[in-house]
Amino acid sequence: MSDHSIHVAMPELEGPPTAPTAMAPRPVGKPRVRFARLVPNTVMIVCGVFFVLPLLTLARFSLQNVPTILLGSSTLFKKWSLVGLTKAFSDPDFWPALRLSLQLAAGTVVLTLGLLLPTAIWVHMRLPRARAFIEFLTVLPYMIPAIALVAGIFVIKPHARWFLNSDLSLIPFYVVLALPFTYRSIDAGLRAIDLKTLVDASRGLGAGWLTTLRTVVMPNMRTSIISASFLTAAVVIGEFTIADTLLKETLPRFQATFVGREPQAGYGLNLLALLLTIGLFVTLSVLTKKRDYKRNSFTRQLEKATKMTSDTTP
Amino acid sequence: MTTLDFISVRKTFGTNVALESLNLDVRDGELITLLGPSGCGKTTALRIAAGFEFADSGAVLVAGGDITRTPAHKRNMGMVFQSYSLFPNLTVAKNVEFGLRTRGVVGAQRHLRVAEMLDLVQLMPFADRYPHQLSGGQQQRVALARALAVQPRVLLLDEPLSALDAKVRTTLRDEIRRIQTEVGITTLFVTHDQEEALAISDRICVMSQGRVEQLGSPTEVYRNPSTAFVARFVGSMNEFDAEVTGASEVTVAGQRIGAPGAASAAVGSRVSMLVRPEDLSLAEVGLPGTVTSITFQGATTLVGVRLDVLDHLVSADVGRGAADQLQIGSRVSVGINGSNAVCEPVTVGLPVAVDEPVA
Repeated sequence: MSDHSIHVAMPELEGPPTAPTAMAPRPVGKPRVRFARLVPNTVMIVCGVFFVLPLLTLARFSLQNVPTILLGSSTLFKKWSLVGLTKAFSDPDFWPALRLSLQLAAGTVVLTLGLLLPTAIWVHMRLPRARAFIEFLTVLPYMIPAIALVAGIFVIKPHARWFLNSDLSLIPFYVVLALPFTYRSIDAGLRAIDLKTLVDASRGLGAGWLTTLRTVVMPNMRTSIISASFLTAAVVIGEFTIADTLLKETLPRFQATFVGREPQAGYGLNLLALLLTIGLFVTLSVLTKKRDYKRNSFTRQLEKATKMTSDTTP
Repeated sequence: MTTLDFISVRKTFGTNVALESLNLDVRDGELITLLGPSGCGKTTALRIAAGFEFADSGAVLVAGGDITRTPAHKRNMGMVFQSYSLFPNLTVAKNVEFGLRTRGVVGAQRHLRVAEMLDLVQLMPFADRYPHQLSGGQQQRVALARALAVQPRVLLLDEPLSALDAKVRTTLRDEIRRIQTEVGITTLFVTHDQEEALAISDRICVMSQGRVEQLGSPTEVYRNPSTAFVARFVGSMNEFDAEVTGASEVTVAGQRIGAPGAASAAVGSRVSMLVRPEDLSLAEVGLPGTVTSITFQGATTLVGVRLDVLDHLVSADVGRGAADQLQIGSRVSVGINGSNAVCEPVTVGLPVAVDEPVA
């Protein structure tokens, strides 16, 4: 986005200073500049409308206490209320469903990272030739529909009833479902750094494997780990097929039944979820930006250190 | 006394023998260069010393203590890598203190040590910068400071200069040598650049195909190469087909030349004679030829001559006076001083005359 706006702003900056001095040697330049801005701006506007319009209509449907048939331009500002957004909260099934979905998301993120990080690091360090194969493996869940996975579940069902009865039994399935996104994200993060050298450097300086992982590998993969976690959570919180088949009361299942019971409040809940997701995105992009450690600068630390030692010496 | 000893160290990767049987003793405070073409095993030797690879057989000793099986993080070695290895998420100061942190050195003491190291590499004003805000040369200096901060027993340098441009390379090379001498640390330096090796080392260990070809001071390696490989690899060489025509005498295109290097070869056998450019001169008598290139090098001028008889390009180091009169196309005679020449017996057929690259 910011990158885009720079491109758009450039010709504008160059335009005005040359205009008065140059006595029309290149009058063609100006219209062309305007045209160059026109295309991206149009694209931006069209995309904006494409994304915002459904949200607005969703908002009107769920937040205006006006019968759907009367929703027109004349009723645009009538009877708005936020009740629709939060009505779901008072439903007795909502909180358990949300809790379960959040638990599943957290569990899936932990298990995914726990499995994938060491694997991806190992592949990068020791088996670089296996990378293409592993990448192919991780795309499989994307190509095989979730319902095929469900069919597989029914095959093992008689043998693993104790396992499938637990609500958290969804976690392994979700790990597999999220694999195409998470592995790619982590792999990209690893490729962006010279892992082998960094690990060697860290170990050469006396750090064991765990310290190396914690202080060198993880911080340099922060962005990719965060985005992997986020993608995983998004997959889990939106997954319907498997949860429905295994009769687990997750948020998507609650939403499906709730929309049937209370259409307005049901879509209100959807709207809220969307807004929260956008909010989360913005927060994450702020969090993943590099922070400046100016306040704890080395010069200050050194000043303190010199003072301390000169205090103790006399 | 910190010495580093390799005793019959052998290492293979699959069927590829990286090190055949390396025996090397690095003395206390000494800088030894492992020099050789890529794939000669020099980096493997260094990584075995660092603990990133383990020897198949043999032993590695530091100050007499066996570290063959000690994992890398318990060895207390300081290593500088070929590629930039600074932790991108940490500032210069934090990079330098990394090793001190893993050793549990506390607050003030740690900061003072970091300051000392940054002073040593003259990067104090950059303490709070991130690696990506530094030039390549600066990054390698930080890497050196980071390696030295923990007072390692041995300093290991894996082609630390090869990613830098020519000018920075020379400056940093001299700086590494200055710091190494100042700190007095036992150092193993890996490079494929013979010029670098000649400039920086106490001793050079020339390696080829997992074997040590020669171990000696830069002067020894340059003046008295023990094998034809060393002669060709270190410095530039001219190669002549010659016939041994007497004790310590060879004949090249009808010219009889005294060559002590041919003493062990049988009279009548054919040898390949290797002669340095500075042992060729533009003389009254010699092999006639035509000047094809003139490369001004400051004190001397490197003159490329295509010999009539051998149709073979040689290069000669010529002093100032003689070179001034030359131009491309000049007819000259090339005299050969065979006293430092290396003579390699020719076994199968005759080798094709090699156009020696002008180094």
